[in-house]
Amino acid sequence: MSFEEQVDEIEANTILGGQPFFSRPAGKIFIIWLAFTIVGVLIGVYAPHHLLPAFRSPEGGDVWATMVFFTVLAAPVAALVYAIAFYSIFAWRHKGADPDVPPPDAEPQRGNGPVTILWLGVSTVLVVVLLFWGITVWSAQQVVHPNALQVNVTGQQWVWTYSYPGTGVETRTLDLPLNRPVQFNITSVDVTHGFWPAALGVQVDANPNVVTVIRTTPNSLGSFTVQCSQLCGLYHAFMNNQGAVVTPTQFAQWLESHGASPTAAANVAGTKNVLTSAVRS
Amino acid sequence: MRKIDARGSSAFGVVGSGEYDVTQTAEPADRVETPSEGAPGPKAKPLGLILTFVVAFVAIGGVALFFMSQTYTSPNYPNGVQVATSLGTTVVAGKAVPHVALQFATYPDSTGSVGGKQIHPSGNPSWPAYGLTNQWQVPAHSLVTLTIRQYDSGGALNNPFFAKIQGTVGGTATVTSPSGVTKTVTAWDPNNVGHTFTMRGTPGVDPNFFVNVPLPTNANLPNNNNDPDAGQYYTVKFSFMSGSKGTYAWNCEFPCGQMVASFGGVMGAYGFMSGFVHVV
Repeated sequence: MSFEEQVDEIEANTILGGQPFFSRPAGKIFIIWLAFTIVGVLIGVYAPHHLLPAFRSPEGGDVWATMVFFTVLAAPVAALVYAIAFYSIFAWRHKGADPDVPPPDAEPQRGNGPVTILWLGVSTVLVVVLLFWGITVWSAQQVVHPNALQVNVTGQQWVWTYSYPGTGVETRTLDLPLNRPVQFNITSVDVTHGFWPAALGVQVDANPNVVTVIRTTPNSLGSFTVQCSQLCGLYHAFMNNQGAVVTPTQFAQWLESHGASPTAAANVAGTKNVLTSAVRS
Repeated sequence: MRKIDARGSSAFGVVGSGEYDVTQTAEPADRVETPSEGAPGPKAKPLGLILTFVVAFVAIGGVALFFMSQTYTSPNYPNGVQVATSLGTTVVAGKAVPHVALQFATYPDSTGSVGGKQIHPSGNPSWPAYGLTNQWQVPAHSLVTLTIRQYDSGGALNNPFFAKIQGTVGGTATVTSPSGVTKTVTAWDPNNVGHTFTMRGTPGVDPNFFVNVPLPTNANLPNNNNDPDAGQYYTVKFSFMSGSKGTYAWNCEFPCGQMVASFGGVMGAYGFMSGFVHVV
């Protein structure tokens, strides 16, 4: 190969060489990027349906939307990295006669202002959008409802227990009334646990000597599972229990069945006015 | 040596010096024509690449399949699985069900021996243990009557919740003191608990199943750990309905270990204050 031919080959093989776009490395990387992006977006849109539980609160819906939104936004970025890596592995693999002798290093590339600006600009926009989204979702969960049902959650190796102030009820199952804001006051009596009723879209650590508060509003009837999300010892895998979202009347009955007085059950369940109205009518 | 200006030939920037040495990209003639001896030549590389991907695929797939195939199986215990003794049938809630019985004990010293068998083969002199085994087998949907001899001392629970008897028939247990006085109780003083027998379904197995029975603290520890059954003890007896077939976990909820919240040491070591009930 003559010297001029070598020069031509080098220029043709550069990422924006003189060939038609889809025959150049840049064009091929673009095709791979597009394919990976489509796959990533499809995963982002459809995978949560299979990986996340059936949500029973608006916070759960926020979690679902956040998962989808973040994954879809991340897909083209991740796809670009994978596309370049994938293409590099196959097209620019060292093909020297002696595999033990690496090719000489190229000079470092510096000083492309437009690319730097584009890269920083896109990254900044993405991060700001994600930050704004996250803060908005998080803020929505910080709203204090004066009429919220208070539930004290205690983690210990290896059982969750729940008490409902004003009722004297302490149970191992977590029943909640439909459409009533709930405030969980969470602590631990030994090591750090992770309170995670996944279907309610909230999760927070249960730390000893600290009460951590999270809020949610169950909006769908049905059962859910509470798991520990912090590796907490020998039986961490068994530290889970069932919960249920029930109607306020069922909730009052459930409290009574666990030892609450009818008055206390009606007060805490918020059915007092309903029952009083029913009696009056 | 001729230099070639590479400016404009890269999508991501220009070469730092604006030039690079093209002669470096050419293979030396001797290397092209005489590959090093013993090294794979260019024709061998596709095979190596394919093999690399196959090995990677098999390795990653193997790890994934390994984790997917993992269902929890309880570890073997040297003293084996104690099978419940049949007591025939009994009527519970108007329905005849099998009735079985189990008897075991809590010992203050896991190095002691009962009937020639060490309570816990890898015992620590300061570690209490249930014994002689930590695994029991009972039939599904049966009435199970447990009799537990409590030889060990105790103290206060971390959470009084476990002082309440839960999940037993009638929500009660009978407690017989060393002096022979028997009482039926629904709870025990949370500040005078020796151990608890706390049993629950494992994930996917009867998630709502839960039995908790506190055992009274015993101030009369046996003097001779080599013959713990010679000591005085409380007898706690209760019955519960077993659930569906599967493996159920049990453990003690009294902080009888070491370190954080007294749940380290013996409480974090499988087999002393924890185990499984096999419902078949």
